[in-house]
Amino acid sequence: MSQKNRIGVFLCHCGGNISDYVNLEEIEEKLSENEEICSIKHHENLCSLEGRNIIKDQILRENLDRVVISACSKITHGATFEKYIKPLNPYLYEMPNVREQCSWVTNDTGKATKKALSLINSAIESVKYNEPLKKIPTTVKDSVLVIGAGISGITTANSLAKQGMKVTLIEKRPAVGGAMIQVGKVFTPDKMSEDCAACLLNPVIDEMVHNENITLLTNTVLERSTRNSGNFDVILRKKPEYVNPEKCTSCGNCTHACPTFAPDEWNEGLNSRKAIYKPFPQAVPSTYTLDDEACIKCGACINVCPTNAIHLDAIDEIISLTVGSVVIATGHQRFDTSKRPEYGHSFYEDVVSQMQLARLMGVNGPTDGHLQVPSTGKVPRRVVMIQCVGSRDQMPDAHKYCSKVCCMVALKNANLIHSHYPDTEVIICYTDIRTPGVYEKYYKYVQDNGIQLIRGRPGEITREDDHMLVRIEDTITHTKQEIPTDLVVLSAALESSEGTIDAAKTLGVPLTEDKFVKEKHPKMQPVSTDIEGIFVCGTAQGPKDITDSIIQANTAATKISELVNGGLEVEPFIATINVKKCVLCGTCIDNCRYQALTMNKHSVRVGPIACTGCGDCIITCPEEAISIQGQSDEKLEASIAGLLKDKPDDEQIIIAFLDDIGNVSANNMGINRVACPSSIRIINVPFINRVKYRHIKYALTHGADGVFLGEYPDTPKHNDIRENVKVMKKHLEEDGINPERLLIHSVFIPYFRGLANQFKEFDEELQVLSK
Amino acid sequence: MEEIKKFIPTEKITLFRSCLVSAEYPGVEASTKYVFDKLGVEYVIDRNQSCCTGLGHYYDIFDELSTTALAARNFSYAIKNNHKQYVPMCATCYAILKTSAKNLNEKEDVREKINKAFRENGLEEFQYTKGDIDPTNDITHVVDVLYYLKDKIPEHKQRDISGLNIATHHGCHYCKVHYDDTLCGYRNPEVIDKICEVMDSPALKWYDQKPRHCGGGFRQRYANRDLSLDATVDKFLSLHREKIDVLLVMCPNCQVQFDRYQYVLEEKTGDKHYYAVLNIAQLVALYMGADSYKVLGIQTHTVNLEPLLDKLAIEYNPKGDTLHVTEE
Repeated sequence: MSQKNRIGVFLCHCGGNISDYVNLEEIEEKLSENEEICSIKHHENLCSLEGRNIIKDQILRENLDRVVISACSKITHGATFEKYIKPLNPYLYEMPNVREQCSWVTNDTGKATKKALSLINSAIESVKYNEPLKKIPTTVKDSVLVIGAGISGITTANSLAKQGMKVTLIEKRPAVGGAMIQVGKVFTPDKMSEDCAACLLNPVIDEMVHNENITLLTNTVLERSTRNSGNFDVILRKKPEYVNPEKCTSCGNCTHACPTFAPDEWNEGLNSRKAIYKPFPQAVPSTYTLDDEACIKCGACINVCPTNAIHLDAIDEIISLTVGSVVIATGHQRFDTSKRPEYGHSFYEDVVSQMQLARLMGVNGPTDGHLQVPSTGKVPRRVVMIQCVGSRDQMPDAHKYCSKVCCMVALKNANLIHSHYPDTEVIICYTDIRTPGVYEKYYKYVQDNGIQLIRGRPGEITREDDHMLVRIEDTITHTKQEIPTDLVVLSAALESSEGTIDAAKTLGVPLTEDKFVKEKHPKMQPVSTDIEGIFVCGTAQGPKDITDSIIQANTAATKISELVNGGLEVEPFIATINVKKCVLCGTCIDNCRYQALTMNKHSVRVGPIACTGCGDCIITCPEEAISIQGQSDEKLEASIAGLLKDKPDDEQIIIAFLDDIGNVSANNMGINRVACPSSIRIINVPFINRVKYRHIKYALTHGADGVFLGEYPDTPKHNDIRENVKVMKKHLEEDGINPERLLIHSVFIPYFRGLANQFKEFDEELQVLSK
Repeated sequence: MEEIKKFIPTEKITLFRSCLVSAEYPGVEASTKYVFDKLGVEYVIDRNQSCCTGLGHYYDIFDELSTTALAARNFSYAIKNNHKQYVPMCATCYAILKTSAKNLNEKEDVREKINKAFRENGLEEFQYTKGDIDPTNDITHVVDVLYYLKDKIPEHKQRDISGLNIATHHGCHYCKVHYDDTLCGYRNPEVIDKICEVMDSPALKWYDQKPRHCGGGFRQRYANRDLSLDATVDKFLSLHREKIDVLLVMCPNCQVQFDRYQYVLEEKTGDKHYYAVLNIAQLVALYMGADSYKVLGIQTHTVNLEPLLDKLAIEYNPKGDTLHVTEE
């Protein structure tokens, strides 16, 4: 800094919270030796209106260009002082935390005063590097792509469209409705009744079809997506339209003429359909569709079509769109039961899945709603249901999680069988019955209706004479049983669908270890993803029932509305790229987990909404072309230099770089008055990888006895960070510095006592080391 | 061929001998060597090798530490011999060795305790360094090697063995101890089945109780004989229902259970049906023309193999059986 600064320092007493422990007169005396400081003022409560007047008055009177306010934590009053320093730019001040991180954790006045002075000096050195910045206003395009037209996708689309947004709703299959349209019946626990699923879903579908803001594209998948300054440029692929929907009158002549059969997906393969067909009678859109994998292109359908609607040489359509947000509502699929050969689903006709059972009982199913044993066509005398097929299973080819809905599904179907065929006995073999909330009442109701329950997971199913045999150990009575039955129903796990995995891959959204779309935070941000602007809802995010899917779908719509209508202003602490240094290698783009960086023609662009300012890109850039606005390397080094200014040889100082979580934890230490060694000097960084080796080396060679890194471990970069620390320790060794002087530790907000202990232990270790 | 995720060696192999193979069915070892020679697999037998402790381990005679120490000793010989690819014939050896290698690699205190014991007793040469043996890629079962080279097997065909009704029985300690290293599935294990296919003698796709264990259960067979045999009965009866000619195994423990105890099981169930019990290596050797007595060692079997050879019209000289005294 060639030009001299005019810095004002304001010391808050905080009504004794600070001044009772810190000798502010002594501090004032020391600071007055610094010629860049043009004004030093005290006040009982700087956050008061009187405080504002003092600050403003001094800025104008002394022509200050930068301000340091020694007070509490920035979290408590940062926003207050940002306003109080007007007419200065709100980013031209620093706030050393002399309360939570000093006066409240240090009992000895001498030590507290020394520490406070070093914290204030650090702020003085650091504030010199502050730049006048502006909050960045952003706008998000009001068009949305919703992937998947099941209950979740349709619900989101409806809500967004009603809020005036343009929605493109795409569905891979030829008809909308997803799993809900297929299950036939849903149940309402309060009414103890099973209701028609289609009757509940159809009005929702109608609403979607008639809303002019929604464009529905069936037989369509997402092919590519690129981030383009906050928006998404997407490319969709729609299967060839062999049957022109404008011309098709749904007469059905084509199906009649078609000689080729394929398994009927709508009925879960229980029967066959033709290669040209309508998925099911109530399908939306109601146009006929052609399965080009099964079709032999014989042309029989063309000959009988009265409106000339069929074109076998149609080609697929590529659609390109730019949208502001994307919703992943790609749903689930069911566990492949052929992975359980001991249950024989692939070779015994009379072993079916719950969805197949639902189709067998569905009025628009293959038996017109009559429950029949597939091999005999008779009503079953007994039905045995097996729960947790592929769920709650520790084996490598199964899912460790509970699929959440199968207990309710089994109870529903069991009760349906019971009410239509009272002579048919139903037994459910379960691991645990999980029916939380009001579902418990339904469970009791079904049990009272005579459905039997056996706790145990059958070992195998075999065929004997004219019936099936289920072998099970009843784990309550510890007896082995062989249950003869006509029909076996498997409750297969819900798993992430192929479409979900594909969409996540195309969009660059991380998946959980179970391959569902990973939310930004499973508790606090259940529909957001790591990529700002991409949201998830329904079973694409994890197993859940219809109610939960609808709740999540509406939440996703609300979150998008916030982005579009909220008049977003974001903090300016984002990455900036020095175009002179940047060689457009793209390493930073590949490494950014927020997809905040995009390649433009001749530059790398930073998306201000997506960028969190974590600074991880800084260390990946081979040309050192990236910096975070207002948080330069030099500024960080200046903070360190300030902390170590005039340090006497006999004083031990540990510089603790804490990420935001660690900083809050350290504040909690103060709020709870947990003692912390006075050697600890905290510097809050947005992300631990922001601290470069040069900073650590600088600290350790300019008087710091130790460097402590406090990292919140629950981030995808955790391993990288730990690896980086190992590398830095090696560098220290090469530079002749004891690597033990650098320590990294995990931090958690409620774990402030643990953090205090860590500080204490490190402090003691360093005392031993220095001897 | 399904994607193989582990390394399968064809050279630098130490064929790890099994106490049960040597004591009960030496023909399994002879057959394995016969087949390996034909297929050009390079291997050695190590005279210094000790038992894996498997049987003793599951009898609670050997604790895990002694088992691991003994494995460390065996590994050191294999490494010194420049034949560190361990290929056991027995599923138990396979699983025990893998577990030991994992323990030695991952548990520093265990490794240090064992190395210390070696040092204190003048056995420094046996000391184990982390990573010496990779449990996944340095320890494979004989069936893994046969599966890997299965397409070469028909090149050595000498006898037609088609037309047999074969059931396969896979070793639990191959399938279910180290799941991730198991080839061709473990719920419906098929690795032996795939080897059968190339010899034009496909095995039953599925039979009731297929994934069930043999019932042997190490000490259970002797200490809780009824429990052990009760567990075998279900599978035994299922095999009878399928009217099989051969039960193919890959572990000598299972072979003992189904061969040595076949008459006991017949008596127990009152159900009779002849079937032979063979190790997959024995069947491959037979297919490649090996001598029934000198290589397959059928004279050591309890259930006579001769009826099966007759069915296949394979000639043999009964005088080859020098084990049993026959009346002139």
